[in-house]
Amino acid sequence: MALIEIDNLSVHFDAGDRIVKAVQDVSLQVAARESYGLVGESGSGKSTILRAICGLAPISGGTVRIGGEPLKTPRGKGFSARVQMVFQDPYSSLHPRHTIDRTLSEPLAIHGVGNTDARVVQALRDVALDPTFRFRFPHQLSGGQRQRVAIARALMLQPEILLLDEPTSALDASVQAETLNLLNRLRAERGLTFLMVSHDLAVIDHMCDRVLVMQHGRAVEELARDDLAAARMTTSYARTLFDASADRMLDGA
Amino acid sequence: MSLLSVKNLRVTFDTEAGRVEAVRGVSFTLGRERLGIVGESGSGKTMTGRSMLRLIRPPGRIEADEMRFDGIDLLRASEREMRALRGPRMAMVMQDPKYSLNPVMKVGRQLTEGLRLRDRLGAGDARKKAIEALQAVQIRDPERVMEAWPHELSGGMGQRVMIAMMLIPNPDLLIADEPTSALDVTVQAEVLKILDDLVKTRGMGLIFISHDLRLVARFCDRVLVMYKGRVVEEVQAGNLMAARHPYTRGLLNCLPRIGGPREPLPSLDRSGTWAEA
Repeated sequence: MALIEIDNLSVHFDAGDRIVKAVQDVSLQVAARESYGLVGESGSGKSTILRAICGLAPISGGTVRIGGEPLKTPRGKGFSARVQMVFQDPYSSLHPRHTIDRTLSEPLAIHGVGNTDARVVQALRDVALDPTFRFRFPHQLSGGQRQRVAIARALMLQPEILLLDEPTSALDASVQAETLNLLNRLRAERGLTFLMVSHDLAVIDHMCDRVLVMQHGRAVEELARDDLAAARMTTSYARTLFDASADRMLDGA
Repeated sequence: MSLLSVKNLRVTFDTEAGRVEAVRGVSFTLGRERLGIVGESGSGKTMTGRSMLRLIRPPGRIEADEMRFDGIDLLRASEREMRALRGPRMAMVMQDPKYSLNPVMKVGRQLTEGLRLRDRLGAGDARKKAIEALQAVQIRDPERVMEAWPHELSGGMGQRVMIAMMLIPNPDLLIADEPTSALDVTVQAEVLKILDDLVKTRGMGLIFISHDLRLVARFCDRVLVMYKGRVVEEVQAGNLMAARHPYTRGLLNCLPRIGGPREPLPSLDRSGTWAEA
């Protein structure tokens, strides 16, 4: 049985005089310990799927099951102990007036987990940050360091599933490499399951076992990693995306 | 004669914590060609671009042995002369449409403002020119975009509006600061094609600032690689794969590739002597 099962998910937003269909009839399954990618241009609905799982966007149709159980509304503590999300922009996803210590210890306090002190220090070590960062504020950190804090925060409750929404697109190439390496190491060490969104096909290819190409809120094509690398896509849109990918550009030059 | 020549450019900020040198001795010349400037955040690439237009506010200071644009000494030009250059002769497309368009002015008014004030065109003519400019950057429904507020545009649309705005006065030099980093790959390819056509058809000089080395290599003729305010290497874009400097190689290697190996990406090794102050 797959750990994440999404059947015919639809997300509609009511925008006054019209209804915006952000996601339409998307189905996908992610096995435990698998890394699954969603790729497409902005507005294709890929981030909305992650937000719908977390309850940040309404589920208008279809079902989402985690470990066989349908999602409850509100999601509740049990959900946040299993599923956590890392957002795109480390500049806006951390509370600007909370120290790193407070950001990291809040989930522990909410869930009544003890031994806060040692856990916060360990969490910083796990993402390769010096424990002296603990009492700093987000504005005293670089973008890459902030994204590490965001990842540490997501891991505080030791979830099984990480939902990653463009975790490196706000970062420099060299910092992106470090962050992707960190995510891969944590996944191997902890047996995490990733559902990752990116517009960069090369990043998705590096990180994921399977990838779903999306366009205009619909699933276009699901590709295994080998098929992607060998350019065995069957739809023209997936091929367009593949051809426009930055690292292909260099080969073509 | 080259369009732009810069010798030993330095940009310094006197802050409370002491002097910060953002650009430290950058020299280059530019003809009617596409020059790429690449580096990480904080490498001084944006500051180099802004210096050309003297758009650095105190406490920042620009110093150089020479900074000439088409025979004009940019270091000695008065503010009035600089104002006459900015726009009609040299223009800059800023990084983020969200922060660089005026949020409380409709797109149409922002586009026609320069035409009306600088070129003293009437409302009708200015509007016509603005719509033509929007069409030139492949915006399909320019009439609607003219009436839109900046927040109603997507990132790609906003970026194209900014490019259109800079191209209306037909400048000789365009400085584009990360013009495509907010865009999806498919839209990115379109915007690059627009810029490329403009360089070819109008004979414009282009400085293309980006952190994406592969993109720059594909698009530009020559690439300057910057690190900590210095140019560490200048390469012909076609020979980028043969670049020798460890920093350039590091930037190239740390990017994932489709079908590449699954091992950890090589991180940038900053232990060499080149990385020291």
